[in-house]
Amino acid sequence: MTLPPAKTSLTLLTLLLLLKTPDALPAFKDYKVLDWRTIPAVLDFAPRKTSPAPVEEEELRLHPDRDAASYNVFRLNAAEGALDHFYAALQRTEAKETGAVTRILHYGDSPTTADLITGDARRLLQKQFGDAGHGFILMGKPWAWYDHNGVVLHASGWTVDPASQAKIRDGLFGLGGVSFRGAAGASTQITLKDPSHTLLEVSYLKQPGGGALTVEAENRSLGQIQTSGKILEAAHKTFAIPDGARRFRFEAAGPVRLFGVSFDKLNAGVAYDSLGLNGAYVSVLARMFNEEHWAEQLRHRRPDLVIVNYGTNESAYSSFVERSYGKELKEIVRRVRAAVPESSILLMSPMDRGERQAGGAIGTMATIPRLVAIQQQVAMETGCGFFNTFQAMGGPGTMGRWYEAEPRLVGGDFIHPMPGGARIVGGLLYQALLDGYNRYKVQRMQERFARAAGKAGPK
Amino acid sequence: MVLSSSVYFIFLVGVFFLYWPLARSRALGLAVVLLANYFFYAKWDLFYLFLIPACSSVDFLLALGMERALRRWLRRALVSASVALNLGVLASFKYMPFFLENYAHLSGRPAPEWPWIFPLGISFYAFQSLTYTIDVYRRDAKATPSYLAYLASVSFFPTTLAGPITRVATLLPQLERREKTLAPADGGKAIFLIGIGLMKKLLIADFLADNLVNRVFDFPNLYTATEVLTGVYAFALQLYYDFSGYTDIATGSALLLGIKLPANFNRPYAASSIADFWRRWHITLSNWLRDYLYFSLPGARAKVLPYLNLVLTMLLGGLWHGANWNFAIWGLLHGIGLAATRAVPGQPGPLWLRRFATVQFVCLAWIFFRAPSLEGALAVLGRIGSLTVSFANISGPLAVVLAIAVAGHYLPAKWRQWSQERFAASPFYAQAAALMLLAIALQYVAATGAAPFIYTRF
Repeated sequence: MTLPPAKTSLTLLTLLLLLKTPDALPAFKDYKVLDWRTIPAVLDFAPRKTSPAPVEEEELRLHPDRDAASYNVFRLNAAEGALDHFYAALQRTEAKETGAVTRILHYGDSPTTADLITGDARRLLQKQFGDAGHGFILMGKPWAWYDHNGVVLHASGWTVDPASQAKIRDGLFGLGGVSFRGAAGASTQITLKDPSHTLLEVSYLKQPGGGALTVEAENRSLGQIQTSGKILEAAHKTFAIPDGARRFRFEAAGPVRLFGVSFDKLNAGVAYDSLGLNGAYVSVLARMFNEEHWAEQLRHRRPDLVIVNYGTNESAYSSFVERSYGKELKEIVRRVRAAVPESSILLMSPMDRGERQAGGAIGTMATIPRLVAIQQQVAMETGCGFFNTFQAMGGPGTMGRWYEAEPRLVGGDFIHPMPGGARIVGGLLYQALLDGYNRYKVQRMQERFARAAGKAGPK
Repeated sequence: MVLSSSVYFIFLVGVFFLYWPLARSRALGLAVVLLANYFFYAKWDLFYLFLIPACSSVDFLLALGMERALRRWLRRALVSASVALNLGVLASFKYMPFFLENYAHLSGRPAPEWPWIFPLGISFYAFQSLTYTIDVYRRDAKATPSYLAYLASVSFFPTTLAGPITRVATLLPQLERREKTLAPADGGKAIFLIGIGLMKKLLIADFLADNLVNRVFDFPNLYTATEVLTGVYAFALQLYYDFSGYTDIATGSALLLGIKLPANFNRPYAASSIADFWRRWHITLSNWLRDYLYFSLPGARAKVLPYLNLVLTMLLGGLWHGANWNFAIWGLLHGIGLAATRAVPGQPGPLWLRRFATVQFVCLAWIFFRAPSLEGALAVLGRIGSLTVSFANISGPLAVVLAIAVAGHYLPAKWRQWSQERFAASPFYAQAAALMLLAIALQYVAATGAAPFIYTRF
């Protein structure tokens, strides 16, 4: 037996001494880089855990009792009666009353733009209550990221003006927040996966000097829209869709300004409009949208539920969150109420947003819990429903856990969900809505029994 | 056990202080190395404790058989058995899901389940193991009669996860040597390499991954063409710093035990052709592919076959990285690039233009290497093709790290040599203090804790 190499051994031993110093001398405690308690981890032979089904595993982790009778979902937080209009509509839809469409408008930021979360919620709700059509689609892709489940969209020749970028000042952005201006030759092709839609409706702006727009299905003309008018005025034109048609083409024959097209079905069911604006924040709906014009768009669409789902982009600006976020959110609620007073409103919090912290762990951005608390307070003050996505998905630290799942449930920006993560969040929203609806039905039933008991009581 | 984690360094220091007092005894020294190797494998999965000794034992016996066999057909049969064994292990534990998925796709039936997936280190182990049996078959090396020495060499822990792929015939004499010493200069060099490796990995590679590369490759459609293109260049740098950082740590770890490993990188993005790139990038893999695959293919003197052989070699090299079509395309692109380089003799154009063109081609191929799927790669290319211009997502710190990464890559080799020698010559307390400062810097500046090295997946 011999001694180990002297100089290298001394270097290593001195280094160990230096690493131990912060434990021994409190003055150096800020320079602690080795947690000596990790030493036994050297002898830990537990294999690295990977999951072949991270989505299902995360769902089970969030709801370990999901197969049990005492199934608990993450519930909506709603003032008394806040969502009753929506639930009543859902009840008529469930009863398959003729033409009973429950319409949901979901305003959100980048995940909504790609129909993430909304696409999953739409699928689940339509599976449960019936499919009343895909809903609203923009006339083109304002962002390469814009995408809708079951829709292939190609467009050319349009000048695209999203409200979130405010290139035009008149605030006329239609239902979806984007205006498409085009001259003769500008065109849009939409291919739907589902061939059973029965109606399509084009939303556009009548304007002086407006040109015509031709509408085709499967290369056969459905008709033409003349967009000329004496004043600027939003308009809508509906066409019946021939049986089995999936491919549609819209082409401008002169200067036109369009907002989008809705694909609907006449049968009872749920229609879920995914209205995402990339980079959007509360002020877009509260300030950039022309109030009168947006009110007309909302009234025309007659939503039963309007979901307002902003916060991720604002979370990067803590002073805005503290000073303005609540006020702007209240302004949105006021505008929606003024336009469609009967509709229910659900404020939906952003997902967790992560950031690297000292030492490398991915933690929750400090503004997120604060912003969620403000949203909840606004919901209570204004009589809206509230869905706490952040807590439902697991609360602080979720983004880190989802990032480390394999395959990952969120992207490398610690903001956007991958399809698997979106599926979980869409499922959580669906479960919460369904839970609220079931409780509403139970309550109505109890009220009926109570009334019946009152009538039949002792005289 | 990730090579940049604190657990690994605790393990390494333990092996160092256990190894050197016993190194004078050949058997005890080898036993410590073997114990460390298997301990290292067991940290990933206990199944390796069965798999690796079993494969190593068969190869050891086959090599002894080849050494003693006089008949060519018998030696050929034995080496074929070794190739079949190692490639069989590779196919079973790494490629079977790929085969089954494609079978399911073609047949329209659901893919059968295959729970036996142990890809970590298997590729490197298999290639390292084959260097021994093929060398013995070719009479380029002698079979060792020492079972212990063979087991310790073929699974040498610093090279286990991601190379450098080291010929067993190179490791054996170093491990079997009776007079083992560690010169102070070599000890200093080893510590320097580990420190540099950590800086490359944690300060540059992981920072670029977190702040640009992962974002761009996850959601290319959220970024402009110029940002996506910057992300592609950033990935080229990330991969270099990640893999060369790993290699530095592995080389330094081996050197702490007195073992010298071959070089694996030499400023690859300064290459003036694709052939030159492969002389500078993952050198031990390109040497392996050349010596054990390309030279084994027929038609070296034919007109067209050598070109096809180059394409085939690189295609297989691509698939070695992983069982998916992206790696196949990546290998194919490099094979075509090498064949084109061979077809055009001489060096057309000025040096700067050749270097520029080579980097562009390599980065184009990296898109397929990095993208999560073929659709993902096409989305990245499509986004670059959109020609949209903005650098809004390239923050100031990110630009600084990118600039440091570029400058660090092109730094003259003699500068690094000079720093290494200065560090090795400095007193022990200065070395320890430098390491401590580095550890503090890594703790507070590094983007991540201990993310896995990219190449450990292959």
